[in-house]
Amino acid sequence: MKRFKGLFLLSVIVMLVFVTACSDSTTGGSSGKDGEKGVVNIGYSGPLSGAAAFYGERTLNGLKMAAEEINDEGGFEVNGKTYTINLVPLDDKYLPNETASNAKRLVQEHKTPIIFTPHSGGVLALQVFNEVDNFIIGAYTSEPSVTEGGNKLTVQIPPKYDGYVEPFTNYAMDRFGKKIAALPTSSQYGKDWTETLLTYWKKQGGEVVYESSINFAKDTDFFTVITNALKKKPDVLFIGGASEPTAKVAKQARELGFKGGFIVMDQAKLNEMEKITGSYEVLEGAVGVLPLIYSKAPGVPSFKEKYNAKYKEDPGSEAGIHYIGLHAFIEAMKAAGTVDDPKKIYEHVQDGLDAIPEERKTYLVPKITEAGSFDYELHFGVVEDGEVKEMEAK
Amino acid sequence: MDILIQQLFNGLTIGSVYSLVALGLTLVYGILHIPNFAHGALYMMGGYMTFTMMTKFGFHYWLAILIAVVAVGLLGVLMERFVFHPLRNAPPLHDKIAAIGILLFLESFAQLVWGGDYLTMPTPYNQVVSIFGLTFTMQRLLIIIAAIVIMIALNLFLKKTFTGATIIAMSQNREGANLVGINTTKVAMLTFLISGGLAALASSLASPINLVFPGMGHLVILKAFVIIILGGMGSIPGAILGGYILGFSESLGATYISNDYKDIIAFILLVLILTIKPTGLFVKGGHT
Repeated sequence: MKRFKGLFLLSVIVMLVFVTACSDSTTGGSSGKDGEKGVVNIGYSGPLSGAAAFYGERTLNGLKMAAEEINDEGGFEVNGKTYTINLVPLDDKYLPNETASNAKRLVQEHKTPIIFTPHSGGVLALQVFNEVDNFIIGAYTSEPSVTEGGNKLTVQIPPKYDGYVEPFTNYAMDRFGKKIAALPTSSQYGKDWTETLLTYWKKQGGEVVYESSINFAKDTDFFTVITNALKKKPDVLFIGGASEPTAKVAKQARELGFKGGFIVMDQAKLNEMEKITGSYEVLEGAVGVLPLIYSKAPGVPSFKEKYNAKYKEDPGSEAGIHYIGLHAFIEAMKAAGTVDDPKKIYEHVQDGLDAIPEERKTYLVPKITEAGSFDYELHFGVVEDGEVKEMEAK
Repeated sequence: MDILIQQLFNGLTIGSVYSLVALGLTLVYGILHIPNFAHGALYMMGGYMTFTMMTKFGFHYWLAILIAVVAVGLLGVLMERFVFHPLRNAPPLHDKIAAIGILLFLESFAQLVWGGDYLTMPTPYNQVVSIFGLTFTMQRLLIIIAAIVIMIALNLFLKKTFTGATIIAMSQNREGANLVGINTTKVAMLTFLISGGLAALASSLASPINLVFPGMGHLVILKAFVIIILGGMGSIPGAILGGYILGFSESLGATYISNDYKDIIAFILLVLILTIKPTGLFVKGGHT
């Protein structure tokens, strides 16, 4: 009998905890009356554990910084009511199915009008039901196809990678020559990137002498595949994936005597690669995304300083883009006059972009395209004489 | 011709790493009678230990390796004491679950302590040596030489010393070894010590050519499983030979067939060998 009593007590406690948890979570969305303070829950689902955890953390850091800035100012005002931001991050271990169940939870429990997710698989999984469940996807992926499907509530916040193909090709071809060997990461994103680049490369009269891919989660050593690629005497190597293993590929290519240039996929950042190679000399002739810290955008210096103070490292573009992304959405909420109608907020993203104060512009995003992608003033970086130089794509 | 020799060298490098990892795995198989899934995590811990010793405390590469070998070896002993020893009479399934538990624990632990970032292990042996159109780096030569030295030493220890003989005896028959007066508890601890040490050594040698990160154990552990199946579960020469077979099949397969199919080639080889010799190339030491 005693045991039953214990069990009963336990179940009561569990119930109580459950009920409190539920009532806690309903404070989100549009609760509260005029003049009172409200809370807007912003959802995030990304890899916070596992192999890609550091990447997930950095994307989340950008959101955190934007949210803190706004909350420190006392929140933001929509229709006479002041709201603060409550970020609700959930871990999806980089798995699209987890992203989908996280999103369901975020919408049902926390009534999040916007959910950020930093991988294309997650975005595609959410696009299945985001229009029905009524939330905006803050899609951090450079994959052009995520906005080509006509989803009406997807905002692609980073630059699309197809914008890089032309300037990268022109630069590498002019400086080094027409023969390219491709050794990108073996993910779907890597394959799509490769196909876009190589198609354009051939159209410009270039030649593809070797094409393969590297699985960074499985290959212990890259010497074998690089040896094979270099045997074909390429002028340019196309490499990419996470910055650090990509840097190893570049370094090993140099060890094996490669003298040409690199085209670096947008996932890898030159400044992060330099930490692995030890100097920019190894990366001489590399063309890639311009690292945020070298950007001349007005918001960069203060963002860099704050980020350094908080996280003890230089911010990367994943932090910077999430930062400006959240600011754009919050400004859009102000312009739309609502915090819980995703369709209305979506319609006002352009107004949101226009209203971002200069000192918060970590990037220059003049407009959002019809399909829902942020349209950047595209700059890229090249390594010349051991230094990163900013170049402008016309 | 150049390319063949270069690729043989590449295969030898990677095969040496595989062999060292598989050796530790095969030794512990003799005690647990299941593959130790947590072995990849020990490999990872070894990488982090050496890295920390070098960057935080400024120790020399070799000293850092030595500390890591001892530390991870002791971690192996702790695993044996707190997890596998209490489970020694439980069904093998429990060992498997426990091993996976340790793997997850250690990976999360590494992420908590060192963060999820990729880290680069410095090495004093960064020089590139080119002879006759072949490219070596000192680190790679070091991997090969160190692996061979360790294998010879391990073999001498197991074959020529009394303590080594007790390890083999226990892997053949635990009760029997107990009956003839071998302290099986001590031997089990010793085996885990050596196994952990080998994992730490392998990762400390291989890390400078790759990176140190929480998931690095996965790079080698699956292949080490293939190797010990290929070589015969629990067989020492099987683990060594299996490691090199896999290393060469990867590098040569990638060169002469296709880089995209190099894993398939390795697994086809596994299927073929198991079809001809279902118990692996070498059956377990004592049963021959």
